[in-house]
Amino acid sequence: MPSKTGATVKPRTTFDTLKREHLFKNPPKDKTAFPALTEAVRPHVDSFNAVTEEGGFLDLARKDIGIKSVFDGALPTKGNKISLRVDKIFVGKPLISSRDKQTLKREIFPAEARERHTTYRGKLTVRVGYKVNNAEWSWIDRECGNLPIMLRSNRCHLEGMSPYDLIQHKEESEELGGYFVVNGIEKIIRLLIVQRRNHPMAIIRPSFTKRGKSYSNFGVQIRCVRPDQTSQTNVLHYLNDGNVTFRFSWRKNEYLVPAVMILKALCETNDREIFDGLLTMADRENTFLTDRVELLLRTYKAYNLYSRTETLQYLGEKFRIVMRVAADMTDAEVGVEFLRRIVLVNLEDSKDKFRMMLFMIRKLYALVEGSCAPDNPDAVQHQEILLGGFLYGQIIKERVEEYLENVASEIRRQVTRSGTVDFNNKDHRVKVFSKVNENIGTALEYFLSTGNLASPSGLDLQQVSGFTVVAEKINFYRFLSHFRMVHRGSFFAQLKTTTVRRLLPESWGFLCPVHTPDGSPCGLLNHFAHKCRITTNSLDVSGVRPALIALGVVSPNQSPRPANATFSIQLDGCIVGWTSPKEAKVIADTLRFWKVEGSHDIPVDLEIGYVPESRGGQYPGIFLFSQQSRMLRPVKYLPLEKEDIIGPFEQPYMNIAVTEAEITPGESSHVEFDPTNILSIVANMTPFSDFNQSPRNMYQCQMSKQTMGTPGTAIRYRTDNKSYRLQTGQTPVVRSPLYNEYGLDNFPNGMNAVVAVISYTGYDMDDAMIINKSAIERGFGHGTVYKTEKIGWETGKGRGGPNAEIEFGFHNRAHLHEVVSGITSSEKAWTQEEKNKELRKLGLRGEWLDTVDEDGLPIVGRLVKKGDAVSVYHEKPSDPTAPVEHKAFLYKGDEDAYVEEVRLLPNDSADKGMQMFTIKYRIVRSPNIGDKFSSRHGQKGVLSQKWPSTDMPFTESGMQPDIIINPHAFPSRMTIGMFVESLAGKSGSLHGIAQDCTPFKFSEENTAADYFGHQLKEAGYNYHGNEPMYSGITGEELQADIYIGVVYYQRLRHMVNDKFQVRTTGKISELTHQPIKGRKKGGGIRVGEMERDSLLAHGTAFLLQDRLFNCSDYCQTPICRGCGCFLSTMSTVSKMGETTRIRCRRCAKPASGFEDESIVWEDGHGSRFVGGADTTTVAVPYVLKFLDVELAAMGIAMKFNVSP
Amino acid sequence: MSQPAGERSYQQTAAASTMHYLCAECGAKVGINKGEPIRCKECGHRILYKQRTRRMVQFEAR
Repeated sequence: MPSKTGATVKPRTTFDTLKREHLFKNPPKDKTAFPALTEAVRPHVDSFNAVTEEGGFLDLARKDIGIKSVFDGALPTKGNKISLRVDKIFVGKPLISSRDKQTLKREIFPAEARERHTTYRGKLTVRVGYKVNNAEWSWIDRECGNLPIMLRSNRCHLEGMSPYDLIQHKEESEELGGYFVVNGIEKIIRLLIVQRRNHPMAIIRPSFTKRGKSYSNFGVQIRCVRPDQTSQTNVLHYLNDGNVTFRFSWRKNEYLVPAVMILKALCETNDREIFDGLLTMADRENTFLTDRVELLLRTYKAYNLYSRTETLQYLGEKFRIVMRVAADMTDAEVGVEFLRRIVLVNLEDSKDKFRMMLFMIRKLYALVEGSCAPDNPDAVQHQEILLGGFLYGQIIKERVEEYLENVASEIRRQVTRSGTVDFNNKDHRVKVFSKVNENIGTALEYFLSTGNLASPSGLDLQQVSGFTVVAEKINFYRFLSHFRMVHRGSFFAQLKTTTVRRLLPESWGFLCPVHTPDGSPCGLLNHFAHKCRITTNSLDVSGVRPALIALGVVSPNQSPRPANATFSIQLDGCIVGWTSPKEAKVIADTLRFWKVEGSHDIPVDLEIGYVPESRGGQYPGIFLFSQQSRMLRPVKYLPLEKEDIIGPFEQPYMNIAVTEAEITPGESSHVEFDPTNILSIVANMTPFSDFNQSPRNMYQCQMSKQTMGTPGTAIRYRTDNKSYRLQTGQTPVVRSPLYNEYGLDNFPNGMNAVVAVISYTGYDMDDAMIINKSAIERGFGHGTVYKTEKIGWETGKGRGGPNAEIEFGFHNRAHLHEVVSGITSSEKAWTQEEKNKELRKLGLRGEWLDTVDEDGLPIVGRLVKKGDAVSVYHEKPSDPTAPVEHKAFLYKGDEDAYVEEVRLLPNDSADKGMQMFTIKYRIVRSPNIGDKFSSRHGQKGVLSQKWPSTDMPFTESGMQPDIIINPHAFPSRMTIGMFVESLAGKSGSLHGIAQDCTPFKFSEENTAADYFGHQLKEAGYNYHGNEPMYSGITGEELQADIYIGVVYYQRLRHMVNDKFQVRTTGKISELTHQPIKGRKKGGGIRVGEMERDSLLAHGTAFLLQDRLFNCSDYCQTPICRGCGCFLSTMSTVSKMGETTRIRCRRCAKPASGFEDESIVWEDGHGSRFVGGADTTTVAVPYVLKFLDVELAAMGIAMKFNVSP
Repeated sequence: MSQPAGERSYQQTAAASTMHYLCAECGAKVGINKGEPIRCKECGHRILYKQRTRRMVQFEAR
């Protein structure tokens, strides 16, 4: 990624242990040691900077918002005119509120926001300018809440800090920034793929026909982007009769306007000029085109609009309400405003817009005619990246505009209600502003924390949610991947077709072909190739036009154009000239030569898309792109042997050789610097990935991101809800140079393990693996889970609010001391019960004191088990001498944990005591049976046995494997890369060198097996990597030689302790009396239909009965044999000397009073009955009774035949 | 009073009942009584860490 790729010293594979240790001990005080990492996150940070910098997008947006005016109705006419505009939008750095007078250090650093679970935000101030009638502009500053700030941006205190300074501020030495801290959670705005800006795209879409009766499925769509990065999409529709309509959407509503009306409104023109502009000399022979253009012009006559002014007036009248313009604007002015804000907004000059409209109509006709192919919106050629910062800026713009409109409508409201508003009067002014919701900061915080976009216009986007994701720091690969991730848009996730997910050749070098998840987001969630970067600034293109003139391009103003000048040359959607097809290639090639050379003021980042003439291919022309959001990547330009920067638009028409050997003289213009440039950072970390079957490399990309690795070095200052850490991480022996370049040694992700491929005990069946017990005891794969829990009360919410005064700690501490010291110092040996009884008098439990300190907070360093108290609190009594009942927060986790850190957090009201603190628990997780491990080749497996070292097989040199895997894991998966890694790791360990595992380095002639085989041979080992081994149990030599080597293993975060689910009895559902579901609640796993079927098929009826009945809702219930009913049975009221009996109320008859007393029974009301004695008790599922009751409620009785 | 937190055990008198915490910003030892606002007396920073206990912590070694 550094721009001088060709020139930089190629990073080596070596371990660089000394350098690494030096960097750890002396963090650089000037700049980072790993610029490649900073470069990977640059698009995020730069896009935010572009918004907030002086003259940035916020300034441009402010200009675009314009002036809102209101009339106060003071005079019989419209009255005084009050105009409002935004003069400036200030975004401040995060500082402590000015109300706080005590704190010396005023800056808030991100670490504080993380630790306090607050948002890292700076003050947003909007300077509203106003004037009354034609007086001078005055202004007033309004504070609009606090705006979340991106880390390491120009509004963050960490900007430009050296690793040393970063560590001083509790950050990683390689803190990358690019994300936000919202409520203590790190959030990033996802990169989104959107349509390439300012380039009309030919589209055939069946849904276009739904617009109206004569609408066809042909269209030309252009996404125009204003300088402030907000966009407006314009579409031209082809009607079946040959006409063309212009469609746009404004505030989520769609509007259609005849295209000719737009043309006529843009400039004073005539039909001849439009005809000439649309059709070249050659086109005039084509009756298809001439017919349609004629019809286009003829049908427009129906509107009877001839001059430009008439057209503008017509448009202005129609769109006056929609545009929400000032009441005193004339219709023609509204028309101009309409054109400025909606039609081809990337262009300012209406003549340019006119020419572009003509080009689009011509392209549309070409598409209909079949002389040009539709453009593929799923190809990266027609895509660009919507950067997080830009989206953020767009939302701010919209909020500020909304705010200004709210102020205006508030004035309007006050005018209608109370007559006049005197804006010159300060009191009136304040009254207006105070009525308007000014909190823009909260709106942005909401956006970041939920990812939902609440916008009146929709921002020209296809989705309203899912814009932000949590930047999880499970390990560094995962964290880094979040910044290189790009999503196609959640709209496409619902699409049933797979076309959008397809890997297209256009993406070569821009999107990684390997690094995409499998399953539902497959192909929609991509990652950038590691050399791909995104432009965040607009280039200086002042040199392009003169250069084109020097190349003899026909001016766009020239009319009529020369007959052969059919190729348009466009610069960011503005037609800058015309040329002939023959010259076009020369022009494109010359421009490229100049740009790589750096001459003629042509920036190297300029994209020169030369689309040659073809039969029915893409619409030809030269398309230059210089603006933001484009993907770019470096390749070597052969004529100059220099680095050229290319984009996805031009790439399909270029001849880029992948390797030096592939260069065809006269054909190839470029060559890749490295074939691995197409892979993402994570995909590049798979060793020898070219030896593997491709899906395995995809799996590895997934798994490396779920590895229990090293999230960073600032774990001490982090308060993630859950965080994983590998205690004994190592640097891999087998690694690519990029591992060093990205400084991944700071974040080890696994361990080197001696792996034997052998079926040894049977415990390695089916992707299980055996780990040497001694290896585990030496620390192999030892990990820790950190969990942070917030304890206390959110102020103002729920209990513990302002009314109830609750304090942490013990009420009368002095008294507690007396009691405790009395117990400890007394002669008598107190039993636990006696102690507890004594403490009970103080309103607390004795066992609490084991884990809670005298301040009511947990003892740091203590081991806590489930049910232990971690905090004691009590209500503040109004009478200090009154006895107080203490309560405790208990540790709820299932696993034993250590109290690692306790953080006391301040109350929001500065003079009050603590209401909230956090505990960080440390849970030790040494490898356990059932934990998941994986090599770097998509070969995951679970630990099935910790095999004693004494019983492990050993080699002739006495070496034992750390891990045994089954040979059956290989034939179907074809992960040969793992074998090669095993060889390379073995020879690397023997020679003490790090091995380069960059893919595409070996060939058929020079094989990897041979290269590493010779190294092994050199070290005195078998060339093939096999070794004779001896059974650890019998000591006999095994019949076959065993493939044994060193492979880097990852421990995945899926661990049995988080997953196991077992129950015999437990909680049941109240309604059905069946076991509940859910691991957290102690529920069971459902024995479903398919499980039932298999039990049936096995003939294991007893087991089935046990599962479905005895362990489920077994229930004994009385039933009447006579009427076969559950519901009519009841128990009698017991009489003296008799037990209760079960009788059927329905079969019973009221006692006449003459029966023998022994057969008469009595119900709860005292009514006496005889009979109904034919009852019995049966075992049925409880749900059956439930069903009976439900049916009875519907008037349906169930009758059961009871036998015998 | 200058005694570090946690060093006391329950044997000590109520006079030494102020707990001491570490300021997250400057590292100063801060005595906070019950009900007092959380704030470093040196620099005014508003996050405090509890110190590790000086009491014996014994675990079963496995």
